Amino acid sequence: MNSLVVANVKQRPLRTALSMAGVALGVILVVMVAGLVRGVSRDAAERQMNVDSELRVYDDDVNIASGANPLQMPRRYADAIKNGIQPTPEFPDIVARQPVAGVKEVTAVGLWVQTSVGGIGFETVEGIDWESLTKTTGIRIIEGRHVNDSRQGEPKFEAIVDRYYTEVNKGTDGNPVRIGSTITALNREFTVVGVYEPSVMSRIKLPLYTMQELTGGADIADNCSFLMVKCERPEMADEVREKIMEYYPGLKVIRTDEIPALYSQGLISLDIFLNVVIAVSVIISTMIILLAMYTTIIERTREIGILKGLGASKPFIVWAIEKEATFISAMGVLVGFAISVAGKYFIEASTRLKIDLEARWLLIGAAIGLVCGLAGALYPAIRAANLDPVEAISYE
Amino acid sequence: MKPVLETIKLEMIYRVGKVDVPALRGVDLQVGAGEYAAIMGPSGCGKSTFLHIVGGMLQPTKGQVMIDGEDLTHMTDSQRTDLRRRKIGFVFQRFNLFPTLSAEGNLKLAERIHHKSNGGDSERRRDLLRLLKLEDKIHHKPLEMSGGEQQRVALARAVINRPAILLADEPTGNLDSENSQIVLDMLRDLNKEMGQTIVMITHNPEAALRADRIIEMRDGHVVGSRQNP
Repeated sequence: MNSLVVANVKQRPLRTALSMAGVALGVILVVMVAGLVRGVSRDAAERQMNVDSELRVYDDDVNIASGANPLQMPRRYADAIKNGIQPTPEFPDIVARQPVAGVKEVTAVGLWVQTSVGGIGFETVEGIDWESLTKTTGIRIIEGRHVNDSRQGEPKFEAIVDRYYTEVNKGTDGNPVRIGSTITALNREFTVVGVYEPSVMSRIKLPLYTMQELTGGADIADNCSFLMVKCERPEMADEVREKIMEYYPGLKVIRTDEIPALYSQGLISLDIFLNVVIAVSVIISTMIILLAMYTTIIERTREIGILKGLGASKPFIVWAIEKEATFISAMGVLVGFAISVAGKYFIEASTRLKIDLEARWLLIGAAIGLVCGLAGALYPAIRAANLDPVEAISYE
Repeated sequence: MKPVLETIKLEMIYRVGKVDVPALRGVDLQVGAGEYAAIMGPSGCGKSTFLHIVGGMLQPTKGQVMIDGEDLTHMTDSQRTDLRRRKIGFVFQRFNLFPTLSAEGNLKLAERIHHKSNGGDSERRRDLLRLLKLEDKIHHKPLEMSGGEQQRVALARAVINRPAILLADEPTGNLDSENSQIVLDMLRDLNKEMGQTIVMITHNPEAALRADRIIEMRDGHVVGSRQNP
């Protein structure tokens, strides 16, 4: 029986290959899309966590997990948390607050999302204040220099990048990014003046004031996307968090180590997208196997009649066809895996996208390929089993 | 002794559009164990219909069919299939071998259908292939064999599971005279050496003369039966 399955598969190599390709396509869709979603999120979450600061402060109505946080939070909160705040003639209604105990340093960060160079994927750009950032995150310049506060009349269109960025990207002149290269951010050209490490959060950093100017329109507000808080001791993080939220109820404070979980929650909407991709894969794989096996039983009507003439039962005939479909589907799954692995390395080598091939999604992809193969062959198999033996044997 | 095949007032009427076409009009027939019977008659006399009913592939309109003591007249399709698997071997005019399998593969498939393990009975396969002079064709596919060789493989496949009766539908219809003689000799050997009960339908008088008994059909009736000397 197995030799019959293999022999039948080899008899029509092109059709077999096309059927396998159809199943493989479904597997690739599921595995690669899920891998891309997971990989990009994991990569972003890891870089978000690779900082010394223990806390992150946001405006209460910001969706942290979306990754796109506009500059809507007043930067003065950084000063208020670190140094306390008093009413001023400009803001007479402010409630006076002491500095939050346990806070060592606070830095304000602006976040902007733009399309990657080459148009594939996206990347984030950060507006920073170098002095406070280096004290909060521990990053340092390993080549060139840092960017300066462009409010003080310093050049505005300068940026620093991490080492990974210099290794995989090219400047606007088409050459690898080096000190002095120009890159595009916020639709402007920026000169790279330094390379930093470790790689934390966004790979491109430029002066916060410049970002405020380029995104603020006519009214340049001194805003940021979030604050990072470095505590005097890490174990004080929860205490500091509670104090900040008590003093400033309109703020949301999370621990840095909670960020990956938040990114996962943000994937809920992407899970819906994944479900759509899975549904499309199911339909593709099922239809291709159904059409292939239907054509097969038409071509092999006489052989099915012979089987019936020999006394093959209906379950025997159904299983013979299902076995062939399962074999083709299994081969398609393996081809899909192979292409997914190759695709992962190719895409990661040629773009900045990260793809995680998780075992769970490989299993889901395999299950879809095999189950759809079985399901797609079922109607043709049942039809074959119910053929009239006399007519089938006489079929030309 | 109980006959291996017995039909009682067997009738078959085909409905073609709005017209009823009688193919069998009450056939009474018995074939004993170990007997080799040939059914002759002109085209359209009902020979093939008779064979298909006896082989369990067609449900008669009226009458009774007994195969080795089992009445298949009122069996369901699944039950008739089961009976065919256990007790009936078929040889067709067009050989009907699986083109993607070797000679041995075709035999193994028949054994597999008969619920044997994938290994089957290798000794019986060898004996049959030796009897049918196919030892050197065991690994050949149908396209690599002559018509006579293919029909001999089909013969081996039909009897590999020791059926109670072998039904042969014009087994020499697609063969030249030389290969026809070889196949008819093989049928004879199966009957004489292995005691295989055979019912063969043919329109070839020379083929019919190889059988023990010739049964003549005409217009859906059995019109005569005579022993061959």
